[in-house]
Amino acid sequence: MDINLNDLLRHYRSNPYEEHEIRAPHTGVVKFRAEEGQQTFGPSGKWLHKPGTLLFLLERENNPKRITASFNGEVAGIRHELEGCFVEAGTLLLTIRHRLSKEEIIDRILTEVLSIFPAPQRARYYLPPETASQMDKKAEPSIFLKPGDDAIIMSLMKRDTMLKYEGTPGIIYKVYFHSGDMVERDAPLLGICPPDNLKYVQKVIQRIKNEWEE
Amino acid sequence: MKKEKILIANRGEIAIRIMMACEDLGCDYIVVYTHEDRESLHVRRAREKGPGKRTYRIASYKDPNEIFAVADQAGATAIHPGYGFFSENFRFARRATMRTRPITFIGPRWEVIRDLGSKINTKKVAKSLGIPVIPGSDSPIYSEIEAEALAEELFLQQREQGIRAPSVLVKASAGGGGMGIEEVQHLDTFRRVYRRIQNYAKRQFGDEGVLIEQCLRDYQHIEVQLLCDRHGTVTHFGTRNCTIQSTGRQKRVEVAPGFDPEVWDYSFDSLRVLKDITGHSVNLAREVGYDSAGTWEWVVTRDGRPYLLEVNTRIQVENEISACISRIRGREDTPVNLIREQIRTALGEKLGFTQKDIYFEGTSIELRIVAEDVKRGFAPWCGTITRFEFPQRPWARLYSHVPADKPYNIPTEYDPNLALAIIWGKDTGEAVERAGEFLLGSNIEGHNAKGEPVITNLAYLYDRLDDVLRF
Amino acid sequence: MTDTLHKHIADSGQFLSQLASRITYLIDIIGDGSWFDLEKLLEEVQQVRNAIFDLPEKELFKRMLMLEDRISILEDRAAREITPARMVNIVRSVQRFTLQDILENVYDSFTELGGEEDCNIDPAIVVARATISRRVKKRIHKHQVMVIGHEKGMGEEYRNGGCAKPWGNDKALRYMKVAETEGIPIHFLIFTPGSYPIEDFPGAAQQIARNIYAMCKLEVPTVSFISEGGSGGAEAIGLADFRLMASHGYYSVISPEGAAAIEGKIREGGKVPRELVEKCARQLKMTARDNLGLGTIDRIVHEPPLGARKDDYDFFRRLRFEMIRATDEVVLRTKSFRTFRAYALKKQIAKDYGSSDTFDVHIPWRLSEKETERLLENRSRKYRSMGQGYTELKKESLIDLHKLRDKTRETITRTYYEIKYGLLKPHKKNVQKVLEEVTGEGAAFLAKITEPVKAAVDFLSGPDGEQRLLSDENQHTSIFSREWEQYVSPLANEDRTVTCPNAAKYGCMDLWVPDLYGEFCGVCPTCGHHFPLEYQWYLQNLFDRGSVKEFNRHIVSGNPLKFEGLDARLNRDMQRTGRRSGIITFKASVLGVKIVVAMLYSNFRSGTVGSAEGEKFLRACDLARTRRRPFLAYIHTTGGIRIQEGTLGVIQMPRCTMAVREYVDSGGLYIVVYDNNSYAGPVASFLGCSPYQVGIRSSRIGFAGPRVIRETTGQDVPPDYHSARNALRRGHIQGIWDRRDFRKNLHDALMTMGGPNLYYK
Repeated sequence: MDINLNDLLRHYRSNPYEEHEIRAPHTGVVKFRAEEGQQTFGPSGKWLHKPGTLLFLLERENNPKRITASFNGEVAGIRHELEGCFVEAGTLLLTIRHRLSKEEIIDRILTEVLSIFPAPQRARYYLPPETASQMDKKAEPSIFLKPGDDAIIMSLMKRDTMLKYEGTPGIIYKVYFHSGDMVERDAPLLGICPPDNLKYVQKVIQRIKNEWEE
Repeated sequence: MKKEKILIANRGEIAIRIMMACEDLGCDYIVVYTHEDRESLHVRRAREKGPGKRTYRIASYKDPNEIFAVADQAGATAIHPGYGFFSENFRFARRATMRTRPITFIGPRWEVIRDLGSKINTKKVAKSLGIPVIPGSDSPIYSEIEAEALAEELFLQQREQGIRAPSVLVKASAGGGGMGIEEVQHLDTFRRVYRRIQNYAKRQFGDEGVLIEQCLRDYQHIEVQLLCDRHGTVTHFGTRNCTIQSTGRQKRVEVAPGFDPEVWDYSFDSLRVLKDITGHSVNLAREVGYDSAGTWEWVVTRDGRPYLLEVNTRIQVENEISACISRIRGREDTPVNLIREQIRTALGEKLGFTQKDIYFEGTSIELRIVAEDVKRGFAPWCGTITRFEFPQRPWARLYSHVPADKPYNIPTEYDPNLALAIIWGKDTGEAVERAGEFLLGSNIEGHNAKGEPVITNLAYLYDRLDDVLRF
Repeated sequence: MTDTLHKHIADSGQFLSQLASRITYLIDIIGDGSWFDLEKLLEEVQQVRNAIFDLPEKELFKRMLMLEDRISILEDRAAREITPARMVNIVRSVQRFTLQDILENVYDSFTELGGEEDCNIDPAIVVARATISRRVKKRIHKHQVMVIGHEKGMGEEYRNGGCAKPWGNDKALRYMKVAETEGIPIHFLIFTPGSYPIEDFPGAAQQIARNIYAMCKLEVPTVSFISEGGSGGAEAIGLADFRLMASHGYYSVISPEGAAAIEGKIREGGKVPRELVEKCARQLKMTARDNLGLGTIDRIVHEPPLGARKDDYDFFRRLRFEMIRATDEVVLRTKSFRTFRAYALKKQIAKDYGSSDTFDVHIPWRLSEKETERLLENRSRKYRSMGQGYTELKKESLIDLHKLRDKTRETITRTYYEIKYGLLKPHKKNVQKVLEEVTGEGAAFLAKITEPVKAAVDFLSGPDGEQRLLSDENQHTSIFSREWEQYVSPLANEDRTVTCPNAAKYGCMDLWVPDLYGEFCGVCPTCGHHFPLEYQWYLQNLFDRGSVKEFNRHIVSGNPLKFEGLDARLNRDMQRTGRRSGIITFKASVLGVKIVVAMLYSNFRSGTVGSAEGEKFLRACDLARTRRRPFLAYIHTTGGIRIQEGTLGVIQMPRCTMAVREYVDSGGLYIVVYDNNSYAGPVASFLGCSPYQVGIRSSRIGFAGPRVIRETTGQDVPPDYHSARNALRRGHIQGIWDRRDFRKNLHDALMTMGGPNLYYK
């Protein structure tokens, strides 16, 4: 059960970065607006209503769309050869080197601590409406799952299937996806924490909070 | 026609068949695909065709903006929508025609798509031409009294026809695809159901209009294939029987022609019925100025009454079985290809033949091979296909986007259709026999994430061959 | 001996601290401590104060006298150089008198109701039952009054500087009703820079609207006194039978800083140049003298040259005299003619407050039923005519003719409808009155007046003066004009796509503009977001074809205060829109139901309301009343009161609300539909008072925009703060309509709310 937190922290400390590939969300003519090495910021403001740093314009059918950064980081690897060119959907345009925040470190380390309910297929996933509304109401994790309970709706080939929970009974401590997202096979969907393990998890979180400097 | 460049706005086997039709016509083409479909044969085939860029990756097949952006970029002059996606979307066709750089939409004029896209409108026009339609309202009803009076009349009519368990359907007028439909078996319960559907319609579609029609249960699903050009030529390519369907009303086995009195005894004059409905279909096509390939869908009840259901203003999956049994006098050495003809007419060419040049020969069967679990409500199966083998026969054609030379992951975003097989026989008996032989010779292997073997509907299709053209 | 010395020294200390406060007051007024080295002077005073025990007495006195001399000279100078911006500073000075001082010094005794300092639903609003007494020939008469006012509570944070919260204004309204029940006059004392602009229930704008609506017909005499009259906040307790104003107060549509920020297009948080503030203060015509000239107040209460402070007892005596005199006048005007004249004579003698504060007669303030009726008539007349002289008509030479014709026509129409609906029989007297009124207008129409019914019919059947709307609008062609016979927005004529603002949330695909603005009526088919459409779309799609008949086109937006730069902007908007005001008033029908419509639209000065707009609204409302038709206010957009018209704009709030109130009281069905952006004054008065307010989807409704909220409250608000959904959630509106269902919903509303006559009664 015990994890080697020191090792994990050391691992992240040695390389607290993640490279995010920014691809064209759809076809269009690209015009870069960010520069190599530029600092980017994700959405800000109390309600995250201020868009992040402008990365590039993608114009399709006379509609120049502003594509902004969704997280903080540093711009690298701008593919300048594509400037002013028509690109296909999914074309790699640049990367953002993102330094993991304390919350993200906690999320990542928790996947080692919590019991993970992974995606059985590459598919779209939704939380059952009751679960989602319960989560909205309560700030603290409180929804208890035991094997056989309805856990998640998987939308596959236009059909919705209710997935039953299998694994250690416990509380949904962490939801790793946004409702309606396409999730790759085996990627974590839910992080479950058995009740008698709660204290330990909180201790881990506390330790990371104390020991991780940003 | 060399200058034409056709954008194929679809995926799977239809994309491949359109490509083949283009090659036949000597037109250049381009294809679009999504990340999920990158391994699909439709992409590979286009890529391997020769010099020049022919494949474009897009975000979604359903986003018209992607299609038009690629069309402009690649300099496409026409768009073939296939079936599904944009094939019956009059707004897409309208945009293609009206944008600054117009692009030919391969299909009927957009006004025709719009007008025939409305079932109510189609019913109205049909009625005015004396074409039989399912008894019921031909415009949305908003008044309860009016609705109840009509329901009563429908029950009465059915009793007079000797129908033992009469019933009516109450539908949300703005609905579709099985949403907001309920059956009423007793007049007493009608009002309650009516109100429920009305509320549903108001909530769901913002329009509380309701349609009421007789509920038909015991019928055959017959189609008439039409082909018209932009110069007023109207022809038909006979009938098809599409009664064999999955529980989700998905067609699985289709047969042309629609009935065969040589094999089965029908309680009505089946050839007469087929003749009538083709006649009606042709009349309606002339009335609306139909100018492309299209399918008129009919139901025929056990007592031989036909009713027009709707018009599909597109090329259909099963078009090829009609082509397979059709011959054009003087051109017997070129097989009929309706997709090719559809492209030709859209580009403004004349058909170059008339109805009297068309004659029919034999029976053709289409088998839709799908990775699905028929025992569990036709649940789609997903996983990896490792072996994909079918018999090579002169009387069989197979269309598939699944590569046979390497493992293939079925994309989870779309239906798990694997292949289409088109079988021809000189008569129904031979066709059924050959279809059976073909299915028995087919070999599909694969496994899912848990290592369980692939589940297909091959056995189901084989079982259903007994029902071909049987009422 | 030592005792007296100490006393002397103590007195000196007090004297010096008075000197210090006089200097700080001067700094407050000038707003600049370097003015004649005021700050250094203050330092000197402090030095003397610190040296009070060290300096020889003689030296001390000498220096004190010298200092006082210098201060007096500066005070004189400051008094001579008072500018409008300095008046604002006077009003904001912590040394200025507050409501508390008035309660203590103007009234004899008082009991505060519903509040004890910070233990109060809204400490910015103080309500007290008070007595005020007058001396008549050595006898003292006491009057009971309800005092409602703002307490700036200089230095008391919790008072919020006199910015009333919505529930504070609700409290004010509650006690107005109490006064009405008890039959005692109300004295409104206005000390507010503006209302606290939050939307929490009951909502800043909605509550002010309710107050104004109620005050229109409060059945007791009301007198208001303005020291600081900040726009909507002032109007919330400002609609009174008699309006007094402190000579050094201000009454304005907006603070000079606010106006300067708008005029100078200053970015949020940016510094507003002082010269611009000065200029705006001057241009806004916010002083007592300006307002008296404009007719927005009735009388000025004079203050000492540098304004009244907390210890100006003479001023308080004067104010008591003026409050009583004003209440007397209101009461007397409800009496028969002879008594009033008798009073007027006496007034000649006691023309103004001199040294004496005694009265010659005692006048009880309780009104009979008949007198109450007259009180309300007087109030109605007062507000209906307020600032009317500033409305511009199209052609100078036609002014009189138009006025005459309009008024006569209105009278005739009214008579026709009164006869048609059988209303005249029980009111024979009205006929008399009508005839009298018309006779006064001019002999030219006399022949018609003798046969009012016939004339009315002639007039109704004739097309005279009614113009087809849009006849002069630019025709445009649409790619769909053949397909869709109805109007299609010119926005649809572009081959491009736009992104729905909700795309990230609901996955809406980019929309092809011809589809969006054509078939989709500007609505995203995926999420229902409404893209703005031009007002012409509504004219064409909401009403029956050809039924729209515009009237009062000759009433034109002007520049009554000669605000610099406004003329050019008005001209530009007139050129651009082909219209002459920010409102369109017309008759129309919806699925056969005839209605009268007033439409504020965005393209002309952002749909702001000035004199012309107010006048047109009022006339439309009156037309709906005389014709007995439902009245729709469709707000395509309104940015509030047009600030360049100053208080002439502000008074459109009570004016138009008066018209609405009388329309609704007569049985009219008044529906308000908000679209796009509807903010500030209009919502806080003649719109917000409607019993039926509806928002079109994706519209925003509120009192002040996010920037103003941030700047006044220091708090940020979420981006959807003013959304129609939140307005509905807070109870500000009664429903949300989809644009595509507008016509049907409107018709349904007319049929269900309007009853068989489409009019309540």
